[in-house]
Amino acid sequence: MNILEANKIAKSFGNKSNKEEVLKGIDITIKQGEFVSIMGASGSGKTTLLNVLSSIDKVSFGTIKINNVEMTKMKEKQLAEFRKKYLGFIFQEYNLLDTLTVKENILLPLSITKIPKNEANQKFKEVATELGIYNLKDKYPNEISGGQKQRTSAARAFIHEPSIIFADEPTGALDSKSASDLLNKLSDLNQKRNSTIIMVTHDPIAASYCNRVIFIKDGQIYTQLTRGEQERQSFLSDIMKTQGVLGGVHYEH
Amino acid sequence: MNINRLIFQNLKKNIKKYYLYVFALVFSVALYFAFVTLQYDASMDEVKGSIKGAAAIKTASILLVLIVSIFLLYANNIFIKRRSKEVGLLQLIGMTKNKIFRILSVENLILYFISLFIGIFVGFSFSKLIIMILFKMLDIEGISQLYFSKQAFIQTVIVFCVIYLFIMIMNYIFIQKQTILSLFRVTSSTEGKIKKTSFLEAIIGIVGITLILLGYYVSSMLFGGDFTSINELFLAMSFILGSVIIGTFFFYKGSVRFIANIIRKSKGGYLNINEVLSLSSIMFRMKSNALLLTIITTVSALAIGLLSLTYIAYYSAEQAALKNVPANFAMTNIEDAELFKLALLDKNIAFNENIIDVIQVNIDAQHIIDSNLSELQLDPNSMTISVISDQSIKDIDVSADETILTGYDDFLSKFMPLKKSGPIKLIGQHEVIPQQYVGLRNDYVISYNFTEGGLPVAIVDETVFQRLQQDINPTIQKPTSLYIGIDIKDDKQIKAANEIFLASNFSDNNESRLEMSSYQKINMGLSMFIVGFLGLTFLITSGCILYFKQMDESEEEKPSYTILRKLGYTEDDLLRGIRAKQLYNFGIPLIIGLFHSYFAVQSGWFLFGTEVWTPMIIVMVLYTMLYSIFGILSVLYYKKVIKAALYN
Repeated sequence: MNILEANKIAKSFGNKSNKEEVLKGIDITIKQGEFVSIMGASGSGKTTLLNVLSSIDKVSFGTIKINNVEMTKMKEKQLAEFRKKYLGFIFQEYNLLDTLTVKENILLPLSITKIPKNEANQKFKEVATELGIYNLKDKYPNEISGGQKQRTSAARAFIHEPSIIFADEPTGALDSKSASDLLNKLSDLNQKRNSTIIMVTHDPIAASYCNRVIFIKDGQIYTQLTRGEQERQSFLSDIMKTQGVLGGVHYEH
Repeated sequence: MNINRLIFQNLKKNIKKYYLYVFALVFSVALYFAFVTLQYDASMDEVKGSIKGAAAIKTASILLVLIVSIFLLYANNIFIKRRSKEVGLLQLIGMTKNKIFRILSVENLILYFISLFIGIFVGFSFSKLIIMILFKMLDIEGISQLYFSKQAFIQTVIVFCVIYLFIMIMNYIFIQKQTILSLFRVTSSTEGKIKKTSFLEAIIGIVGITLILLGYYVSSMLFGGDFTSINELFLAMSFILGSVIIGTFFFYKGSVRFIANIIRKSKGGYLNINEVLSLSSIMFRMKSNALLLTIITTVSALAIGLLSLTYIAYYSAEQAALKNVPANFAMTNIEDAELFKLALLDKNIAFNENIIDVIQVNIDAQHIIDSNLSELQLDPNSMTISVISDQSIKDIDVSADETILTGYDDFLSKFMPLKKSGPIKLIGQHEVIPQQYVGLRNDYVISYNFTEGGLPVAIVDETVFQRLQQDINPTIQKPTSLYIGIDIKDDKQIKAANEIFLASNFSDNNESRLEMSSYQKINMGLSMFIVGFLGLTFLITSGCILYFKQMDESEEEKPSYTILRKLGYTEDDLLRGIRAKQLYNFGIPLIIGLFHSYFAVQSGWFLFGTEVWTPMIIVMVLYTMLYSIFGILSVLYYKKVIKAALYN
């Protein structure tokens, strides 16, 4: 089942005289339960693509359907409603509210949906235990490490069981140990909960945890790689080869 | 790009950011200039001369300077912080700190002095309006000339130049203290690190609330007869002030956070959007703002309290006059009264006449008074009061062994409360007449020259009155034993009658109620005007300070709004939370200030007038309304920030 279908989406910035096309007609379909990476060099338009897909930014042209609902025509309020129910977010900068505790941060998406408190607590306990942050629940963000913050952010993205989770460079600010920890957790949750994850990254190692990698170059899809039954290591070397051809960061292995 | 161009560009760009700062400046200058103009205005001489108002106005202008300079320094502090990034950048490209300081100073100079002159112009235009308001309040007729006071101009310029110097010194210190790194971090390092609420805080919180309540409690007893010596009163007042102010400080330091924390704990981590935006944010800011909030609260309370009291006095002017002079005109000798009546008839002014015989008698009231009178230098065994016959008053009839007291001053009755009934003795020259005191009435029947300004008047049966008249004690009698009240039938003619009264040049013992109430109005009107002026200044400056603070906070919290909007909260959701936050931010200092002033007014209003609720509520409602404008303004500012938050 296709959970997301994007058709010929284009996005340009600036005015008529000084127009810059960032996305030039991209088609993407993502299936339920997929863990997809979007890769590309800086300036290739990958973050813009993610913003557009996740309704944070508007497309200039084209349509996006999530769960067969067309998002591109929705009004601001409906979009907010949509994000609330069906989307989850993980950001590079964690984006936790400093004034709230870990638990309060994670429970934020639930508080709009008016779920009973017991149920909310139950959900919190499950997701926080899975991500190994349950015992941090009363700490404030400035009291925990970067890896723990990112896991908090991930827990917040998963707690309301959204249709799709968007992750923008989730490992960008983490050391390699915390990064691989987080990626393991993400792919665990992806399998256990059958949740769909779309992740933007420029790190091939991070991308190698996914089922599929979409390469973007100059606002267009350059190529796609599917992991299939491969080991992660061999998938990683595939990704790096492609990246080498793509002309982004070149690896000497 | 040379430096001049940089300065010019900066100015152009910053005008938008600075509009409120400019507004604040223009406003303070205008207010000050208008006030100083009043001080030098020739048409004010009448007011000044009448009650030595000059000193009052001068004191007020010093207070005004103080408020305005604190306000401007605070505003500058907030605005320089906002530009720290820019300053850091200039430093990064190799400018020395001194050069940056010079650039900032020139920029500020231009902005400041343009505002100064606009302010003076605005103040000039308003001073006429203000003088007209003042004259209206004082019932003085005459149209003031609008003229530009050089003295006022020079004084204003000097005062604001000195403030400018202080601002520059502050900027200089600020720039000198910064390194390039800290300049880039300034906005995030100003608020303290978020900490858990501690046990100590809980104690501070409880102590704070206790101190405030204790202060209120003592204030309610202040004039209840428990403190009878002036020293005790003074001590009690100092105690109340200290206890309430320290309590308020502790309240902000600990209680708010402590209470918020209890509420938050009860939610078990499951906060809704209102709580996210208001509760958690306020919890962490209230503490660091404790001093500022205490000052704002205290001075708001002061302003509301003083405004209420002066308004009570102004509002009660007519009633006070009624109390002192129960008829439109009170005369004490027959010849004057005859002359006056003839003059009235001559002008076709109809009137009623009411003549009452008044004698002075010593009474032994020790059984109906239960307080220690040593301070008042009155002897309860033998107090001199006025006595009249029950035949002088239409609807009163007492039996031969009964006495009614009437017209007891509120203030005096606080110090010297009377029992509901009890035995008293009327002491004449030779004989002592025992009587039963049966009750107190509120009417004032004779003018204040007979009652020492507040002692009650005894009403006795006609037979008793005659006995007393036979047995009179000549040493305690007043120069006259006759009260002649003249009431004008038609209210519209009172003014004309008053003119006749004034033209006749009667002796001092004859009183006109109209004259008395307008004298009181002039007296209270000027104090009210000055207090009102200061109150308004304080209201606007404290409102602006809170608003600036909110502008600052909104910039700092912008990333949070971005997150929340990405999570799917709509602008309206966030705005609802912000409204709740503003309700706390502006509401807590206001409510505490209102409470403080309420208790202050309750403890001593009777010293100022006869009616407390109407004038106090009018003042409080007006203050609240004006104050809320700033809350609404900051919600509008937040709206802009939230709207822009999603797309970056």
